Amino acid sequence: MKLSRRSFIKAAGAVAGYAVLGVNIAKEAAAEVMDFVARRQNSVYAADANKKIYKYRKSQDNPMIVKIYDPKTGFLHDGPCGHESHHLLHTHYYDRSKKLNALKEKGIELNL
Amino acid sequence: MEGVEYSLYAPPVGVDSDTVQFVRVDEAKCEGCGACEEYCASGAIQSINDDGIHRIVDPVACMNCGQCLTNCPYGAIYEGVSFVDELAAKLKDPDTVVVSMPAPAVRYGLGECFGAATGTYVGGKMHAALRKLGFDYIWDNEFTADVTIMEEGTELLNRVKSQGSKDAMPLPQFTSCCPGWVKFAETFYPDLIPNLSTCKSPIGMLGPLAKTYGAKETKTDGKKIYTVSIMPCIAKKYEGVRGELDDGGFDRDIDATINTRELAYMIKAAGIDFNSLPDEDPDPVLGESTGAATIFGNSGGVMEAALRLAYEVLSGTKLANPDIKVVRTHEGINTADVEVPNFGTVKVAVASGLDNAAKLCEEVRAGKSPYHFIEIMTCPGGCVNGGGQPLDPEIRASLFRSTVAQINKRFRARKIKA
Ligand code: SF4
Ligand code: SF4
Repeated sequence: MKLSRRSFIKAAGAVAGYAVLGVNIAKEAAAEVMDFVARRQNSVYAADANKKIYKYRKSQDNPMIVKIYDPKTGFLHDGPCGHESHHLLHTHYYDRSKKLNALKEKGIELNL
Repeated sequence: MEGVEYSLYAPPVGVDSDTVQFVRVDEAKCEGCGACEEYCASGAIQSINDDGIHRIVDPVACMNCGQCLTNCPYGAIYEGVSFVDELAAKLKDPDTVVVSMPAPAVRYGLGECFGAATGTYVGGKMHAALRKLGFDYIWDNEFTADVTIMEEGTELLNRVKSQGSKDAMPLPQFTSCCPGWVKFAETFYPDLIPNLSTCKSPIGMLGPLAKTYGAKETKTDGKKIYTVSIMPCIAKKYEGVRGELDDGGFDRDIDATINTRELAYMIKAAGIDFNSLPDEDPDPVLGESTGAATIFGNSGGVMEAALRLAYEVLSGTKLANPDIKVVRTHEGINTADVEVPNFGTVKVAVASGLDNAAKLCEEVRAGKSPYHFIEIMTCPGGCVNGGGQPLDPEIRASLFRSTVAQINKRFRARKIKA
Protein backbone atom coordinates (compact mmCIF):
# COMPACT_ATOMS: atom_id res chain seq x y z
CA MET A 1 0.00 0.00 0.00
CA LYS A 2 1.24 3.43 -0.88
CA LEU A 3 1.55 5.35 2.33
CA SER A 4 0.05 8.68 1.37
CA ARG A 5 0.29 11.74 3.53
CA ARG A 6 -3.26 11.20 4.65
CA SER A 7 -3.02 7.59 5.70
CA PHE A 8 0.24 8.30 7.52
CA ILE A 9 -1.37 10.98 9.64
CA LYS A 10 -4.41 8.81 10.21
CA ALA A 11 -2.24 5.89 11.30
CA ALA A 12 -0.22 8.04 13.68
CA GLY A 13 -3.41 9.48 15.10
CA ALA A 14 -5.00 6.09 15.54
CA VAL A 15 -2.16 4.82 17.68
CA ALA A 16 -2.22 7.87 19.92
CA GLY A 17 -6.01 7.90 20.04
CA TYR A 18 -6.69 4.36 21.08
CA ALA A 19 -3.95 4.53 23.67
CA VAL A 20 -5.70 7.23 25.67
CA LEU A 21 -9.28 6.34 24.90
CA GLY A 22 -10.16 4.82 28.26
CA VAL A 23 -9.06 7.79 30.32
CA ASN A 24 -10.54 10.25 27.90
CA ILE A 25 -14.12 9.01 27.86
CA ALA A 26 -14.55 9.44 31.59
CA LYS A 27 -12.87 12.83 31.58
CA GLU A 28 -14.86 14.09 28.65
CA ALA A 29 -18.15 12.97 30.14
CA ALA A 30 -17.44 14.97 33.29
CA ALA A 31 -16.21 17.97 31.37
CA GLU A 32 -19.13 17.94 28.97
CA VAL A 33 -21.36 20.26 30.97
CA MET A 34 -18.62 22.85 31.02
CA ASP A 35 -17.39 22.59 27.46
CA PHE A 36 -16.92 25.42 24.99
CA VAL A 37 -20.46 25.61 23.59
CA ALA A 38 -22.08 25.11 26.99
CA ARG A 39 -20.12 28.03 28.44
CA ARG A 40 -21.46 30.35 25.78
CA GLN A 41 -25.00 28.95 26.16
CA ASN A 42 -24.96 29.38 29.93
CA SER A 43 -23.83 32.97 29.56
CA VAL A 44 -26.80 33.65 27.24
CA TYR A 45 -29.30 32.29 29.77
CA ALA A 46 -27.63 34.22 32.57
CA ALA A 47 -28.04 37.50 30.64
CA ASP A 48 -31.69 36.67 29.87
CA ALA A 49 -32.34 36.26 33.59
CA ASN A 50 -30.31 39.33 34.62
CA LYS A 51 -32.60 42.33 35.20
CA LYS A 52 -29.68 44.74 34.89
CA ILE A 53 -29.03 43.61 31.29
CA TYR A 54 -32.59 42.89 30.08
CA LYS A 55 -35.40 44.71 31.85
CA TYR A 56 -38.04 42.64 30.03
CA ARG A 57 -38.01 38.95 29.20
CA LYS A 58 -40.90 38.67 26.74
CA SER A 59 -40.92 40.21 23.24
CA GLN A 60 -44.49 41.49 23.66
CA ASP A 61 -43.35 43.56 26.71
CA ASN A 62 -40.64 45.49 24.79
CA PRO A 63 -41.83 49.16 24.75
CA MET A 64 -40.43 49.64 21.23
CA ILE A 65 -42.44 46.60 20.07
CA VAL A 66 -45.57 48.11 21.66
CA LYS A 67 -44.76 51.35 19.81
CA ILE A 68 -44.20 49.85 16.34
CA TYR A 69 -47.44 47.78 16.55
CA ASP A 70 -49.56 50.55 18.10
CA PRO A 71 -52.98 50.19 16.37
CA LYS A 72 -53.32 53.96 15.92
CA THR A 73 -49.86 55.44 15.45
CA GLY A 74 -47.55 52.48 14.89
CA PHE A 75 -45.53 51.91 11.71
CA LEU A 76 -46.97 48.37 11.65
CA HIS A 77 -50.41 49.50 12.89
CA ASP A 78 -52.31 46.64 11.22
CA GLY A 79 -50.49 44.27 13.56
CA PRO A 80 -48.24 41.20 13.17
CA CYS A 81 -48.80 39.41 9.81
CA GLY A 82 -50.72 42.49 8.64
CA HIS A 83 -50.40 44.20 5.28
CA GLU A 84 -47.18 46.17 5.87
CA SER A 85 -45.60 43.18 7.64
CA HIS A 86 -46.28 41.00 4.63
CA HIS A 87 -44.67 43.55 2.37
CA LEU A 88 -41.51 44.16 4.41
CA LEU A 89 -41.03 41.27 6.79
CA HIS A 90 -42.21 38.12 5.02
CA THR A 91 -40.72 36.37 1.99
CA HIS A 92 -40.89 33.31 -0.24
CA TYR A 93 -38.40 30.53 -0.91
CA TYR A 94 -37.02 28.79 -3.99
CA ASP A 95 -36.83 25.18 -4.98
CA ARG A 96 -33.07 24.71 -5.41
CA SER A 97 -33.22 20.96 -6.06
CA LYS A 98 -32.75 21.33 -9.83
CA LYS A 99 -29.21 22.60 -9.32
CA LEU A 100 -28.62 19.73 -6.92
CA ASN A 101 -29.92 17.16 -9.39
CA ALA A 102 -27.66 18.58 -12.09
CA LEU A 103 -24.72 17.94 -9.74
CA LYS A 104 -25.85 14.39 -9.02
CA GLU A 105 -26.16 13.71 -12.74
CA LYS A 106 -22.51 14.68 -13.09
CA GLY A 107 -21.78 11.78 -10.75
CA ILE A 108 -21.12 13.77 -7.58
CA GLU A 109 -22.24 11.86 -4.50
CA LEU A 110 -23.54 13.70 -1.43
CA ASN A 111 -24.85 12.56 1.94
CA LEU A 112 -28.53 13.02 1.07
CA MET B 1 -8.38 37.91 11.06
CA GLU B 2 -8.55 36.02 14.35
CA GLY B 3 -6.96 32.89 12.96
CA VAL B 4 -8.93 32.66 9.72
CA GLU B 5 -7.95 33.93 6.24
CA TYR B 6 -10.29 35.93 4.02
CA SER B 7 -10.61 36.96 0.39
CA LEU B 8 -11.48 40.66 0.41
CA TYR B 9 -14.31 40.13 -2.07
CA ALA B 10 -17.67 41.89 -1.71
CA PRO B 11 -20.23 40.31 -4.07
CA PRO B 12 -21.83 43.00 -6.30
CA VAL B 13 -25.57 43.78 -6.28
CA GLY B 14 -27.46 41.29 -8.43
CA VAL B 15 -24.93 38.45 -8.03
CA ASP B 16 -26.29 34.87 -8.17
CA SER B 17 -25.67 33.81 -4.57
CA ASP B 18 -25.44 30.13 -5.53
CA THR B 19 -22.30 30.76 -7.59
CA VAL B 20 -20.34 32.49 -4.81
CA GLN B 21 -17.92 30.40 -2.73
CA PHE B 22 -18.31 31.63 0.82
CA VAL B 23 -16.26 28.80 2.34
CA ARG B 24 -13.12 27.58 0.58
CA VAL B 25 -10.27 25.12 1.14
CA ASP B 26 -6.65 26.21 0.70
CA GLU B 27 -5.40 23.02 -0.91
CA ALA B 28 -1.79 23.91 -0.14
CA LYS B 29 -2.54 23.88 3.60
CA CYS B 30 -4.86 20.86 3.66
CA GLU B 31 -3.26 17.83 5.32
CA GLY B 32 -5.98 15.42 4.31
CA CYS B 33 -7.05 14.50 7.86
CA GLY B 34 -10.74 14.32 6.90
CA ALA B 35 -11.98 16.10 10.04
CA CYS B 36 -14.01 18.57 7.96
CA GLU B 37 -16.05 15.76 6.41
CA GLU B 38 -17.33 14.68 9.82
CA TYR B 39 -18.86 18.07 10.47
CA CYS B 40 -20.51 18.46 7.06
CA ALA B 41 -24.12 17.26 6.90
CA SER B 42 -24.53 17.71 3.15
CA GLY B 43 -21.28 15.99 2.18
CA ALA B 44 -20.17 18.98 0.11
CA ILE B 45 -16.54 18.79 1.27
CA GLN B 46 -14.77 15.77 -0.18
CA SER B 47 -11.40 14.21 -0.80
CA ILE B 48 -10.24 14.85 -4.37
CA ASN B 49 -7.05 12.75 -4.67
CA ASP B 50 -4.95 9.97 -3.12
CA ASP B 51 -3.41 12.36 -0.62
CA GLY B 52 -6.88 13.10 0.71
CA ILE B 53 -6.69 16.77 -0.17
CA HIS B 54 -10.17 18.23 0.31
CA ARG B 55 -12.30 20.59 -1.73
CA ILE B 56 -15.90 21.80 -1.66
CA VAL B 57 -17.31 20.12 -4.75
CA ASP B 58 -19.75 22.89 -5.70
CA PRO B 59 -21.25 25.91 -3.92
CA VAL B 60 -24.72 24.48 -4.67
CA ALA B 61 -24.06 21.60 -2.27
CA CYS B 62 -22.56 23.80 0.46
CA MET B 63 -24.86 25.39 3.05
CA ASN B 64 -22.13 27.95 3.97
CA CYS B 65 -22.33 27.01 7.65
CA GLY B 66 -18.56 27.03 8.16
CA GLN B 67 -18.59 24.11 10.60
CA CYS B 68 -15.81 22.53 8.50
CA LEU B 69 -13.83 25.77 8.82
CA THR B 70 -14.06 26.08 12.60
CA ASN B 71 -13.15 22.41 13.07
CA CYS B 72 -10.19 22.12 10.66
CA PRO B 73 -7.17 21.52 12.94
CA TYR B 74 -4.76 22.86 10.27
CA GLY B 75 -6.51 26.17 9.54
CA ALA B 76 -6.77 25.15 5.90
CA ILE B 77 -10.30 26.46 5.33
CA TYR B 78 -10.92 30.15 4.69
CA GLU B 79 -13.70 32.59 3.81
CA GLY B 80 -14.22 33.60 0.19
CA VAL B 81 -16.20 36.77 0.97
CA SER B 82 -15.38 39.75 3.15
CA PHE B 83 -16.99 43.19 3.13
CA VAL B 84 -14.40 44.62 5.55
CA ASP B 85 -12.65 46.82 2.92
CA GLU B 86 -15.89 48.20 1.52
CA LEU B 87 -17.24 48.84 5.04
CA ALA B 88 -14.06 50.69 6.10
CA ALA B 89 -14.52 53.04 3.11
CA LYS B 90 -18.22 53.61 3.94
CA LEU B 91 -17.38 54.46 7.55
CA LYS B 92 -15.10 57.25 6.28
CA ASP B 93 -17.60 58.59 3.72
CA PRO B 94 -19.49 61.61 5.17
CA ASP B 95 -22.39 61.04 2.73
CA THR B 96 -23.13 57.52 3.93
CA VAL B 97 -25.19 56.82 7.05
CA VAL B 98 -23.81 53.54 8.38
CA VAL B 99 -26.13 51.46 10.57
CA SER B 100 -25.00 48.61 12.85
CA MET B 101 -27.08 45.43 13.14
CA PRO B 102 -25.34 42.93 15.47
CA ALA B 103 -26.89 39.51 16.15
CA PRO B 104 -27.48 38.23 19.69
CA ALA B 105 -24.64 35.66 19.69
CA VAL B 106 -21.92 38.17 18.71
CA ARG B 107 -21.97 39.65 22.24
CA TYR B 108 -21.19 36.24 23.75
CA GLY B 109 -18.15 35.62 21.51
CA LEU B 110 -16.51 38.97 20.74
CA GLY B 111 -14.87 39.35 24.16
CA GLU B 112 -12.86 36.16 23.62
CA CYS B 113 -10.83 37.95 20.90
CA PHE B 114 -9.73 40.41 23.60
CA GLY B 115 -8.75 37.84 26.19
CA ALA B 116 -12.05 37.35 28.04
CA ALA B 117 -13.16 33.90 29.21
CA THR B 118 -15.28 31.84 26.80
CA GLY B 119 -18.84 33.15 26.62
CA THR B 120 -18.29 36.43 28.49
CA TYR B 121 -21.17 38.87 27.79
CA VAL B 122 -19.79 42.10 26.25
CA GLY B 123 -22.95 43.69 24.79
CA GLY B 124 -22.36 47.15 26.30
CA LYS B 125 -18.73 47.29 25.18
CA MET B 126 -19.76 46.06 21.72
CA HIS B 127 -22.17 49.00 21.33
CA ALA B 128 -19.46 51.42 22.54
CA ALA B 129 -16.93 49.97 20.08
CA LEU B 130 -19.38 50.30 17.16
CA ARG B 131 -19.88 53.98 18.06
CA LYS B 132 -16.11 54.50 18.19
CA LEU B 133 -15.68 52.81 14.80
CA GLY B 134 -17.93 55.51 13.36
CA PHE B 135 -21.29 53.79 12.91
CA ASP B 136 -23.98 56.51 12.76
CA TYR B 137 -26.81 54.51 14.32
CA ILE B 138 -26.25 51.76 16.83
CA TRP B 139 -29.27 49.66 16.02
CA ASP B 140 -29.46 46.08 17.08
CA ASN B 141 -30.67 42.88 15.50
CA GLU B 142 -32.08 41.82 18.88
CA PHE B 143 -34.89 44.34 18.36
CA THR B 144 -36.00 42.46 15.24
CA ALA B 145 -35.62 39.17 17.08
CA ASP B 146 -38.51 40.53 19.17
CA VAL B 147 -40.33 41.51 15.94
CA THR B 148 -39.72 37.97 14.63
CA ILE B 149 -41.44 36.52 17.68
CA MET B 150 -44.48 38.73 17.08
CA GLU B 151 -44.63 37.78 13.38
CA GLU B 152 -43.65 34.13 13.56
CA GLY B 153 -45.69 33.50 16.70
CA THR B 154 -48.74 35.07 15.07
CA GLU B 155 -48.18 33.01 11.93
CA LEU B 156 -48.09 29.84 14.02
CA LEU B 157 -51.29 30.77 15.85
CA ASN B 158 -52.94 31.48 12.45
CA ARG B 159 -51.84 28.10 11.11
CA VAL B 160 -53.18 26.30 14.19
CA LYS B 161 -56.52 28.14 14.03
CA SER B 162 -57.01 27.57 10.31
CA GLN B 163 -56.49 23.79 10.37
CA GLY B 164 -59.35 22.04 8.60
CA SER B 165 -60.19 24.97 6.36
CA LYS B 166 -59.43 24.71 2.65
CA ASP B 167 -56.55 27.20 2.37
CA ALA B 168 -54.88 26.22 5.62
CA MET B 169 -51.08 26.43 5.68
CA PRO B 170 -49.62 23.10 6.82
CA LEU B 171 -48.27 22.12 10.23
CA PRO B 172 -45.68 21.71 11.59
CA GLN B 173 -44.30 25.18 11.05
CA PHE B 174 -40.53 25.29 10.73
CA THR B 175 -38.54 28.33 11.91
CA SER B 176 -36.77 30.31 9.18
CA CYS B 177 -34.15 32.27 11.12
CA CYS B 178 -31.13 30.14 10.18
CA PRO B 179 -29.89 30.68 6.59
CA GLY B 180 -27.96 27.41 6.44
CA TRP B 181 -31.12 25.54 7.31
CA VAL B 182 -33.26 27.55 4.85
CA LYS B 183 -30.90 26.73 1.97
CA PHE B 184 -30.81 23.10 3.13
CA ALA B 185 -34.61 22.87 3.03
CA GLU B 186 -34.76 24.56 -0.40
CA THR B 187 -32.10 22.21 -1.77
CA PHE B 188 -32.86 18.85 -0.19
CA TYR B 189 -36.52 19.14 0.93
CA PRO B 190 -38.19 21.57 -1.51
CA ASP B 191 -41.51 19.75 -1.00
CA LEU B 192 -41.48 21.06 2.61
CA ILE B 193 -41.20 24.74 1.62
CA PRO B 194 -44.90 25.33 2.55
CA ASN B 195 -43.99 24.29 6.11
CA LEU B 196 -41.29 26.96 6.40
CA SER B 197 -42.42 30.10 8.18
CA THR B 198 -42.79 32.92 5.64
CA CYS B 199 -41.07 35.26 8.11
CA LYS B 200 -37.70 36.66 7.16
CA SER B 201 -35.00 36.11 9.75
CA PRO B 202 -34.39 38.94 12.27
CA ILE B 203 -31.66 40.39 10.05
CA GLY B 204 -33.88 40.04 6.98
CA MET B 205 -36.39 42.20 8.89
CA LEU B 206 -33.98 44.79 10.27
CA GLY B 207 -32.56 45.70 6.85
CA PRO B 208 -35.86 46.93 5.34
CA LEU B 209 -37.07 48.39 8.67
CA ALA B 210 -33.86 50.44 8.97
CA LYS B 211 -34.31 51.89 5.47
CA THR B 212 -38.02 52.70 5.92
CA TYR B 213 -39.09 53.06 9.57
CA GLY B 214 -35.61 53.94 10.83
CA ALA B 215 -35.12 56.49 8.03
CA LYS B 216 -38.47 58.08 8.89
CA GLU B 217 -37.85 58.22 12.66
CA THR B 218 -34.39 59.79 12.22
CA LYS B 219 -35.35 61.97 9.23
CA THR B 220 -32.63 60.36 7.12
CA ASP B 221 -32.74 59.77 3.38
CA GLY B 222 -33.17 55.99 3.02
CA LYS B 223 -30.90 56.07 -0.04
CA LYS B 224 -27.95 57.16 2.11
CA ILE B 225 -28.33 54.34 4.61
CA TYR B 226 -25.77 51.51 4.48
CA THR B 227 -26.83 48.58 6.68
CA VAL B 228 -24.23 46.30 8.22
CA SER B 229 -25.29 42.91 9.47
CA ILE B 230 -22.84 41.65 12.14
CA MET B 231 -23.22 37.93 12.61
CA PRO B 232 -21.74 34.86 14.33
CA CYS B 233 -22.22 33.16 10.98
CA ILE B 234 -20.90 32.72 7.43
CA ALA B 235 -24.21 31.63 5.87
CA LYS B 236 -25.62 35.08 6.78
CA LYS B 237 -23.33 36.50 4.09
CA TYR B 238 -25.20 34.32 1.62
CA GLU B 239 -28.55 35.41 3.05
CA GLY B 240 -27.54 39.08 2.80
CA VAL B 241 -27.11 38.88 -0.97
CA ARG B 242 -30.34 36.94 -1.65
CA GLY B 243 -32.26 39.27 -3.97
CA GLU B 244 -35.75 38.16 -2.87
CA LEU B 245 -35.22 39.75 0.52
CA ASP B 246 -35.00 43.28 -0.89
CA ASP B 247 -38.31 45.00 -0.15
CA GLY B 248 -37.18 48.33 1.35
CA GLY B 249 -37.14 50.07 -2.05
CA PHE B 250 -33.34 50.29 -2.48
CA ASP B 251 -30.66 48.07 -4.03
CA ARG B 252 -30.07 45.85 -1.07
CA ASP B 253 -31.79 45.76 2.31
CA ILE B 254 -28.61 44.30 3.83
CA ASP B 255 -25.66 46.11 2.28
CA ALA B 256 -22.86 44.26 4.02
CA THR B 257 -22.43 41.29 6.33
CA ILE B 258 -19.41 40.71 8.53
CA ASN B 259 -18.94 38.24 11.38
CA THR B 260 -17.65 38.31 14.96
CA ARG B 261 -14.06 37.62 13.90
CA GLU B 262 -14.09 40.43 11.35
CA LEU B 263 -15.57 42.89 13.87
CA ALA B 264 -12.81 42.00 16.35
CA TYR B 265 -10.25 42.62 13.60
CA MET B 266 -11.74 46.03 12.77
CA ILE B 267 -11.74 47.07 16.43
CA LYS B 268 -8.08 46.06 16.75
CA ALA B 269 -7.10 47.69 13.45
CA ALA B 270 -8.69 50.97 14.61
CA GLY B 271 -6.57 50.87 17.76
CA ILE B 272 -9.56 50.81 20.10
CA ASP B 273 -8.80 49.51 23.59
CA PHE B 274 -11.84 47.25 23.83
CA ASN B 275 -11.41 46.16 27.44
CA SER B 276 -11.41 49.71 28.81
CA LEU B 277 -14.59 50.76 26.97
CA PRO B 278 -17.62 51.73 29.10
CA ASP B 279 -20.91 49.82 28.69
CA GLU B 280 -23.19 51.73 26.33
CA ASP B 281 -26.80 51.23 25.21
CA PRO B 282 -27.90 50.95 21.58
CA ASP B 283 -29.90 53.81 20.00
CA PRO B 284 -33.63 53.49 20.68
CA VAL B 285 -36.41 52.82 18.13
CA LEU B 286 -34.55 49.89 16.51
CA GLY B 287 -32.24 49.08 19.38
CA GLU B 288 -34.13 48.10 22.51
CA SER B 289 -34.57 44.38 23.17
CA THR B 290 -35.57 41.72 25.69
CA GLY B 291 -34.26 38.49 27.17
CA ALA B 292 -36.45 36.64 24.66
CA ALA B 293 -34.38 38.20 21.87
CA THR B 294 -30.97 37.39 23.31
CA ILE B 295 -31.75 33.67 23.69
CA PHE B 296 -32.12 33.42 19.87
CA GLY B 297 -28.39 32.72 19.95
CA ASN B 298 -28.90 29.32 21.59
CA SER B 299 -30.40 26.20 20.08
CA GLY B 300 -33.96 26.10 21.47
CA GLY B 301 -33.98 29.86 22.04
CA VAL B 302 -36.35 30.87 19.24
CA MET B 303 -38.69 28.14 20.44
CA GLU B 304 -38.60 29.33 24.07
CA ALA B 305 -39.08 32.97 23.03
CA ALA B 306 -42.03 32.03 20.79
CA LEU B 307 -43.62 29.97 23.57
CA ARG B 308 -43.38 32.95 25.94
CA LEU B 309 -45.72 34.72 23.48
CA ALA B 310 -47.91 31.77 22.40
CA TYR B 311 -48.63 30.77 26.00
CA GLU B 312 -50.01 34.20 26.88
CA VAL B 313 -52.02 34.56 23.66
CA LEU B 314 -53.53 31.06 23.76
CA SER B 315 -54.27 30.91 27.49
CA GLY B 316 -55.24 34.55 28.00
CA THR B 317 -53.15 34.52 31.19
CA LYS B 318 -49.72 35.83 32.14
CA LEU B 319 -46.80 33.43 32.10
CA ALA B 320 -45.46 33.84 35.62
CA ASN B 321 -42.06 32.24 35.06
CA PRO B 322 -40.66 32.81 31.56
CA ASP B 323 -38.11 29.97 31.85
CA ILE B 324 -39.23 27.11 29.60
CA LYS B 325 -36.19 24.96 30.23
CA VAL B 326 -37.43 21.78 28.51
CA VAL B 327 -36.72 23.18 25.04
CA ARG B 328 -33.15 24.32 25.79
CA THR B 329 -30.93 22.22 23.56
CA HIS B 330 -27.22 21.56 23.70
CA GLU B 331 -27.07 18.94 20.94
CA GLY B 332 -29.25 16.48 19.04
CA ILE B 333 -33.04 16.54 18.96
CA ASN B 334 -35.17 17.73 21.84
CA THR B 335 -38.95 17.31 21.94
CA ALA B 336 -41.52 18.57 24.46
CA ASP B 337 -45.24 18.73 25.17
CA VAL B 338 -46.07 22.15 26.57
CA GLU B 339 -49.38 22.30 28.44
CA VAL B 340 -51.22 25.57 27.84
CA PRO B 341 -54.30 26.33 29.98
CA ASN B 342 -57.55 26.94 28.04
CA PHE B 343 -55.93 25.47 24.93
CA GLY B 344 -54.30 22.07 25.36
CA THR B 345 -50.94 20.66 24.39
CA VAL B 346 -48.46 22.42 22.13
CA LYS B 347 -46.08 19.84 20.67
CA VAL B 348 -42.64 21.13 19.75
CA ALA B 349 -39.27 19.84 18.55
CA VAL B 350 -35.83 21.46 18.40
CA ALA B 351 -33.03 20.13 16.21
CA SER B 352 -29.40 21.15 16.48
CA GLY B 353 -27.32 20.23 13.41
CA LEU B 354 -28.54 19.46 9.87
CA ASP B 355 -28.18 15.69 10.19
CA ASN B 356 -30.77 15.90 12.97
CA ALA B 357 -32.88 18.28 10.89
CA ALA B 358 -32.97 15.66 8.13
CA LYS B 359 -34.51 13.14 10.56
CA LEU B 360 -37.35 15.53 11.41
CA CYS B 361 -37.82 16.41 7.72
CA GLU B 362 -38.19 12.73 6.81
CA GLU B 363 -40.88 12.41 9.46
CA VAL B 364 -42.79 15.41 8.06
CA ARG B 365 -42.41 14.08 4.52
CA ALA B 366 -43.90 10.75 5.62
CA GLY B 367 -46.85 12.56 7.20
CA LYS B 368 -45.91 11.21 10.63
CA SER B 369 -44.77 14.36 12.39
CA PRO B 370 -46.81 15.02 15.54
CA TYR B 371 -45.42 18.54 16.09
CA HIS B 372 -46.92 22.00 15.75
CA PHE B 373 -43.64 23.89 15.68
CA ILE B 374 -40.07 22.82 14.88
CA GLU B 375 -36.95 24.93 15.40
CA ILE B 376 -33.83 24.09 13.43
CA MET B 377 -30.31 25.43 13.86
CA THR B 378 -27.53 24.36 11.49
CA CYS B 379 -24.70 24.78 13.99
CA PRO B 380 -24.63 22.37 16.93
CA GLY B 381 -25.72 24.32 20.02
CA GLY B 382 -26.97 27.26 17.93
CA CYS B 383 -25.51 30.58 16.74
CA VAL B 384 -23.22 30.86 19.77
CA ASN B 385 -21.27 28.07 18.05
CA GLY B 386 -21.66 29.59 14.58
CA GLY B 387 -19.08 29.38 11.81
CA GLY B 388 -18.25 33.09 12.17
CA GLN B 389 -17.47 33.02 15.90
CA PRO B 390 -14.00 33.08 17.47
CA LEU B 391 -12.46 29.62 17.18
CA ASP B 392 -12.40 27.11 20.00
CA PRO B 393 -8.78 27.44 21.20
CA GLU B 394 -8.71 23.72 21.95
CA ILE B 395 -9.06 22.70 18.32
CA ARG B 396 -5.75 24.09 17.13
CA ALA B 397 -3.94 24.43 20.45
CA SER B 398 -2.51 20.98 20.11
CA LEU B 399 -2.68 18.99 16.93
CA PHE B 400 -1.93 15.89 18.95
CA ARG B 401 -4.82 16.44 21.30
CA SER B 402 -7.25 17.27 18.51
CA THR B 403 -6.25 14.17 16.58
CA VAL B 404 -6.87 12.11 19.67
CA ALA B 405 -10.24 13.76 20.24
CA GLN B 406 -11.28 13.09 16.68
CA ILE B 407 -10.27 9.46 16.79
CA ASN B 408 -12.19 9.06 20.03
CA LYS B 409 -15.20 10.72 18.46
CA ARG B 410 -15.12 8.36 15.49
CA PHE B 411 -14.68 5.37 17.76
CA ARG B 412 -17.65 6.35 19.91
CA ALA B 413 -19.78 7.09 16.85
CA ARG B 414 -19.09 3.59 15.58
CA LYS B 415 -19.96 2.08 18.94
CA ILE B 416 -23.29 3.87 19.07
CA LYS B 417 -24.23 2.81 15.57
CA ALA B 418 -23.34 -0.86 16.21
S1 SF4 C 1 -10.06 19.30 8.12
FE1 SF4 C 1 -8.66 20.75 7.10
S2 SF4 C 1 -6.73 19.63 6.86
FE2 SF4 C 1 -8.31 18.12 7.36
S3 SF4 C 1 -9.00 17.37 5.30
FE3 SF4 C 1 -10.38 19.04 5.90
S4 SF4 C 1 -9.47 20.88 4.98
FE4 SF4 C 1 -7.90 19.30 4.96
S1 SF4 D 1 -19.55 25.17 5.06
FE1 SF4 D 1 -20.90 23.64 6.01
S2 SF4 D 1 -22.02 22.74 4.27
FE2 SF4 D 1 -20.25 23.85 3.40
S3 SF4 D 1 -18.67 22.27 3.21
FE3 SF4 D 1 -18.36 23.27 5.21
S4 SF4 D 1 -19.52 22.00 6.69
FE4 SF4 D 1 -20.22 21.45 4.61
